[in-house]
Amino acid sequence: MKTQKIKLFSIVLLTVIGITSCKKEQVEEQTFGSVNVYLSHVWGMNNDPFELNVPLVHPMNGDTMTFTTFKYYVSNLQLKKKDGSWWKHPESYFLVDVSNPTSLKLNVSNIPTGDYTEFKYVLGVDSLRNVSGAQSGALSTTNAMFWSWNTGYIMLKAEGTSPQSSTGNFAFHLGGFSGTTNIVTTKSVVFDQPMTVSSGKTSGIYLIANPAKLFHANPLSNGTNIMMPGPKAVEMAGNFYGSVVFDYFTE
Amino acid sequence: MINKKSESRFTTTLLLFFSSLLLLNTSCQKEEVKIEPFALAYPSYFPEPVYKSADNQLTMERFVLGKKLFFDRRLSSDGTISCASCHAQTHAFADHNVSFSAGVNGALGIRNSPTIVNMLWSKSFMWDGGVNHLEVFSVAPITHPDEMNETMANVVAKLNQDEEYQSLVKKAYGHSTVTDQAILKALTAYMVSIVSVNSKYDQVRQGKSSYSAEEKKGYELFKKHCASCHSEPLFTNGTFQNNGLDSVFTDLGRGKITLLSEDVGKFKVPTLRNSELTYPYMHDGRFWTLDQVLDHYSHGIQHSETLSPLVNQNLSLTGIEKKQLKAFLFTLTDYNLLNNPLFFE
Repeated sequence: MKTQKIKLFSIVLLTVIGITSCKKEQVEEQTFGSVNVYLSHVWGMNNDPFELNVPLVHPMNGDTMTFTTFKYYVSNLQLKKKDGSWWKHPESYFLVDVSNPTSLKLNVSNIPTGDYTEFKYVLGVDSLRNVSGAQSGALSTTNAMFWSWNTGYIMLKAEGTSPQSSTGNFAFHLGGFSGTTNIVTTKSVVFDQPMTVSSGKTSGIYLIANPAKLFHANPLSNGTNIMMPGPKAVEMAGNFYGSVVFDYFTE
Repeated sequence: MINKKSESRFTTTLLLFFSSLLLLNTSCQKEEVKIEPFALAYPSYFPEPVYKSADNQLTMERFVLGKKLFFDRRLSSDGTISCASCHAQTHAFADHNVSFSAGVNGALGIRNSPTIVNMLWSKSFMWDGGVNHLEVFSVAPITHPDEMNETMANVVAKLNQDEEYQSLVKKAYGHSTVTDQAILKALTAYMVSIVSVNSKYDQVRQGKSSYSAEEKKGYELFKKHCASCHSEPLFTNGTFQNNGLDSVFTDLGRGKITLLSEDVGKFKVPTLRNSELTYPYMHDGRFWTLDQVLDHYSHGIQHSETLSPLVNQNLSLTGIEKKQLKAFLFTLTDYNLLNNPLFFE
């Protein structure tokens, strides 16, 4: 009975807190700014433009590839404050879709103003969201970036046509979030100069990805399809994720 | 067993407090989700539920929405198949006694449609355990070309044109847009409420009934030969086992998911609750009677690398023993669930 009373008391207390939290009680005036993360895509070591629905010749293996789909997840954006602590962007999941220009700009708002020294992001979807049931937004199953029969996000989808494929098509669905098939990759960039986030101003972070790197070690002659996690997905994702480079930022 | 009643009364009070708390908190915002707890009743010897979701507490509104979805044929591409098509209350929420279920255009799958009772306690889903969470389980039958053959985006688009759905989603989740998340969470709310916990076995366990001499002998045999995999009270331990059906595998089962050779030919241990009604049996519906199943364990075990050590010896049951075992298995049929109007269409 005693513990019950304590529980009851804490509930009443919580209720009171619940009510008072409705009131606006901002003691310190915290200001916020925003950052845009821009994704751009190049093809091969000469940084040729990467475009969908255009035949592209792979500079290394010579395969001609016409991409119809190129999508991948970027998630868990974080910025390191000057004091060493990290600001984490809440609900930070983005589906980058080369066919959709607005998806190439990741808008991160409500960042406390101040100086930041490092940027951290995840390529793929963290394991927790792969095991936590129905999600929303970029992680919605309506995006068809989800394996229903072997739960997990398709973290990268590259599809298209090629004369080097016996079926004429290729489709690489890469994912895997645990053990030896994990492709979730955390990357970070230390800024040369601290990035200042100030209110009323939007800073920019530029990331460049090179889809040709996906096929760096795996020409189409090695196979034209991947539909589940596995060692080849790990290798291909590793090669592509390794190609994502930070370029520069402006204020 | 002490203070069970006062404990449950306290839980109710607790729930009421939490609901009012939620009401208060949500009243700060514009949206109001009325939480009416919908308590699931099950005996105390059942384990803690596996499905616990802080943001999908079971409410009548969520149950009602999930039930409508469960019976809605619009979840399939041509409007012919609903969840209930292959998970019928009359058949203890398995299919209508077919080995393989017919999907859109009569397409047949490769595995038997299992019962979906007691998913509240299930750690993984599908015969191969490929699905790791109940909330995303429904995506598989909805999108499989041999089942409902639909995309989640289409389902959302179709149901969003229905004002009744918008209103039900609003009541259940506080927003009037029909989202895949709301659909999946509501289907989950419906599925977790399908608990099979009131068979004769349960009545006996609670002292409200007693076994016949034959059932009692069957129970003893069950405990000796079957209970290590089909553990009480769920009558499955949720593990994956190769029960000696084949020596060569066309369906890799669990191995298809884990890619490990040690998992080839393993399938999830199914519950024995309501097995009287859920024939045919096994992942491919190869056995049509419980006699065939008992014959298999009695003298049909096929050896292979991954064969479960728990079944590697034929049981060599006598005819009488098989009859006794069957008598016990029949005590697992839950007529209270089969006749529960809560689940009527």
